[in-house]
Amino acid sequence: MSNKRVVLNTKNHKLMIHETATSYLFMLPFMIFFVGFVLYPMFMCVYTSFFDATMGREDIFVGFANYVQLSKDPVFWKGLWNTLIIVLVSVPVTCAFSLWVASAISKMPVAATSAFRCIFYLPVVTGSVAVTVVWKWMFNNYYGIFNYLGNNLGLFDERINWLGDERFALGCIIMILLTTSVGQPIVLYVSALDNVDKSLVEAAEVDGATQMQAFWKIKWPQMMPTTLYILVITTINSFQCFALIQLLTSGGPNNSTMTIMYYIYYNAFKLYKYGYGNAMGVILAIIIAILSAVQFKLGQEK
Amino acid sequence: MNNQNHLDAQAARSKAYTIFSYVVIIIIAFLFLFPLYWILTGAFKTKQEILATTPVWWPSEFVKINFENLMSKRSAPLFDISIGGWAVNLFGYRFSFAKYVIAGPTVPAAMRWLVNTVFMAVTSMIITCITSAMAGYVLAKKRFWGRGILFSLIVCAMALPKQVILIPLLREMSALKLYDTIWAVIFPIVGWPFGVFLLKQFAEGIPTEMVEACRIDGASEWRTFTDVMFPMIKPGVGALAIFTFINSWNDYFMQLVMLTSTKNLTISLGIASMQAENSTDFGILMAGSALASVPIIIVFLIFQKYFTKGITMGAVKG
Amino acid sequence: MKKIIALALALVMVLGLAACSVEKTEAPAPTAAPAATEAPKAEAPAATEAAAAPVEISLWTFPVGKWGEEATVNGWIEAFQAEYPHITVKVEYLDYQAGDDKLNTAIEGGQAPDLIFEGPERLIAQYAARGLLLDLTDLKETAGGKGLYPSIVNTCSIDGKMYAFPISQMAHCMVINRDIFEKADALKYLNEETGTWNSVDDYFNAIQAVYDSGHKDVMTIYCGGQGGDQGTRHMISCPAGNTPWSNPEHTQYTFATQANADILARFYAQDGVSFDPAIVAGDEINLFVQGVLAMGNCWNATLYNNNKDAINFNVLPMAFPTDEAAPALAGGFYCLGVFDNKDAARAEAAKTFIEWMTSDDAIYTEAVLAAGQWPTRDLGVDLYAGDEVMSQYGKFAPWFGDYYQITKGWAEFRTEMWNALQRIAKTDGSSAAILAELEAAQTAANAAASAQ
Repeated sequence: MSNKRVVLNTKNHKLMIHETATSYLFMLPFMIFFVGFVLYPMFMCVYTSFFDATMGREDIFVGFANYVQLSKDPVFWKGLWNTLIIVLVSVPVTCAFSLWVASAISKMPVAATSAFRCIFYLPVVTGSVAVTVVWKWMFNNYYGIFNYLGNNLGLFDERINWLGDERFALGCIIMILLTTSVGQPIVLYVSALDNVDKSLVEAAEVDGATQMQAFWKIKWPQMMPTTLYILVITTINSFQCFALIQLLTSGGPNNSTMTIMYYIYYNAFKLYKYGYGNAMGVILAIIIAILSAVQFKLGQEK
Repeated sequence: MNNQNHLDAQAARSKAYTIFSYVVIIIIAFLFLFPLYWILTGAFKTKQEILATTPVWWPSEFVKINFENLMSKRSAPLFDISIGGWAVNLFGYRFSFAKYVIAGPTVPAAMRWLVNTVFMAVTSMIITCITSAMAGYVLAKKRFWGRGILFSLIVCAMALPKQVILIPLLREMSALKLYDTIWAVIFPIVGWPFGVFLLKQFAEGIPTEMVEACRIDGASEWRTFTDVMFPMIKPGVGALAIFTFINSWNDYFMQLVMLTSTKNLTISLGIASMQAENSTDFGILMAGSALASVPIIIVFLIFQKYFTKGITMGAVKG
Repeated sequence: MKKIIALALALVMVLGLAACSVEKTEAPAPTAAPAATEAPKAEAPAATEAAAAPVEISLWTFPVGKWGEEATVNGWIEAFQAEYPHITVKVEYLDYQAGDDKLNTAIEGGQAPDLIFEGPERLIAQYAARGLLLDLTDLKETAGGKGLYPSIVNTCSIDGKMYAFPISQMAHCMVINRDIFEKADALKYLNEETGTWNSVDDYFNAIQAVYDSGHKDVMTIYCGGQGGDQGTRHMISCPAGNTPWSNPEHTQYTFATQANADILARFYAQDGVSFDPAIVAGDEINLFVQGVLAMGNCWNATLYNNNKDAINFNVLPMAFPTDEAAPALAGGFYCLGVFDNKDAARAEAAKTFIEWMTSDDAIYTEAVLAAGQWPTRDLGVDLYAGDEVMSQYGKFAPWFGDYYQITKGWAEFRTEMWNALQRIAKTDGSSAAILAELEAAQTAANAAASAQ
């Protein structure tokens, strides 16, 4: 063993060159796409954010003007706030709900477990546009099913304009988002629960621990990596919710469902403010980087 | 004795809770199924039934009109492949490639959208799996200069929403003459580094000795990869394939920005543009939604086992 | 694996070579389109046919009547291509909700269409103002361009240069469900003959009457965004006394007036009228067509033609109410514009198409009829003689107001207007509060206008 290391050391340099060359050859196909369609646009995003860029003329360098304007734009802050609300509500709710469903269905017979797993995963495969369109119909003010049910079950007398009312619009968006995002976490939790060391649980139950205690003291710690992973993917997912906003509310009413994603799109393709949109993208990227770093740190501590 | 009572009470309570939770879950499951049910029945309802303020739970008679409207709205060739169509001046000579277009029969645009979507999802799936497997292998098994930096870049880029880079990407695609082609959607999907991350984690689980042994036997790097590494990380590749397929099928945003021509749309984009044109004509929208979702649901139900396996594996390793 | 890749590569190369041709570069390219441009117009078709290289142009249309239908548009394209075999026209059909975004991404993506069929509010205010459109002034000298009504040409021009060729025109109006009004005995508040309301008060009386008759959804002030904004605007400004939306020079917005705020306050308090930020104009039209709403604010002859098969009640097009001598209605003009794609051959082909479409009275008439509108030059005949329904819509033509839609910062103004309406829906409904919202929107819109 030690012999080998010496050999490696003397040949280290040459070997390293060889390894580096082959490695980059292997990396090349991926790197073309990664550099070309992720890194380069990212770089250009930062670069263009210092320009006043619009259609039909050359970009003009403006320094930090876009960022200054951004800091004074109430819609931007509103969008940031809404984005955070969506993330802060949907992430914990998704995790808690899917954990609860998973723990309930994992005790069922195998066929039932897989049937339920399937049902909860269906909205994910149905596709965001199809799901959005049918929800739009169900929320319709005039002949939507929610108003019909609400009125007939005596929950409310007046019709509720779900997507047109500032009080409800964001809630509706979050609810639809939830239905499309619990599928994967449930699948993950079911399998994580299956993999929990059964003997430990049994031992604890023999010792008189309640089900609750057994769950929190034994199962929960073992599922921590799964939970962290779910946190990460749900966060990414919630940040990216775009189709819902674009097709249901376009950010309205009165910007109550405006998110940063939609505001970037809006600035770019309705107002042609490309530089401004890019500045927003940069800010968003920084926020997400910080969030990811925090989650990554949490993951390493475990 | 007291203890026994306590235990009985506890057992009864837990049984009650179990029954309660089953009931609640069955109710919620119905709610989850309901939108899909509403799409499928809505697609066959008449206009009056759709507009009824008292919902029609089951179409009194299944009508085809919504599908007929959907199909007659727009038309496009089933496929078209064009080659050449450019010219360049070199050393005083003009090299020109005449443009050849091979076009399929004209069909309802919705058919073409399905073809586009399948092509897009399958192509991005294949390219992603190959490039990610190669990159993941060396990131896991080789020590080379720049590896650390590269890997951090990959991790950082993973959480990045596509909206952030949308404007530069659009400009880039137009410079590359890829705007309004299906490739403008495929390439960014392939560039998304999640696959590399996932397969790197998989490859790390393969004992280094196996790779080394193969090398000592005199196999080339490429052989080592195809004959030893790839078969070992196949489950991971399968998981990635499923991930990429679903992701690209539902990647509405990129499609929205990059595709314009009727013949280049994907099915979700097609439905979205239908909804813009017909806004509240929910019959035609449900027909389109059914067309968009039923194929992938069938694929999902057939490969359900692999889906769940793939998803779990992706999480465990990721 | 390697073998397959190699094979594929070889195949691509062979195909490429087969399609390749090499020729000595001549000083001026043999396909020089400018030559054709300079050729005298009379001989142009013959000359271009003989010399011109094949050129492909694109035409994008919005669903203005049959301009959105493949059967109609393809018919024209075939006829045009038969006459000019070297030109191929590819058509794309846009919609009003996503069409703008699509056009904007295409422009930024370097794939702007050559020809676009749209109104001056987008062509002039958005695209020509940014220098994206070609100057079409020379087309004023063609057979189809000579007789164009000067007032319409004006709205299509910047500094005397015409950037959009007007094809057809009509008036935007409102519409009522006659059956519902009859049942509510509300027809007495209006004049069916002239399509006008007796007074602004009677207009509100009519809404109240319909509401009282049990039809609770009389009208909705849609403010979800997007197009159809002229309906909402004239719903406000006509009863407010034909208040102008911009100054006469079209440089500043002037809608934050007490009169506008008062009329909005009246709508706010009116039974049966709701502010609905969840829907856009397209939704409102559908709701009206479906018979859910008794009145629609986004209506015109084209929309009637688009929807008449789906309507199973009597519709009555109406002018917006006013107490002035006549309402100032919004004119709807539809024009062909040519995007500057830095390609002389394509530009020439696009102009050829416009000339072909407008010079021959028969072809031009067909284009106008397809839009379901009226011509932009005097054809000497009434296209809708004997057509009672269309004549009803034709009555509104004399009441065109100022075409202020070409004011700078139009896109921002529209957004501000929708947002202001959404905010107004949340106020207490007092005209002071409404005025404050209008003022905020006006300030923002004017800032955008002066920044442009």
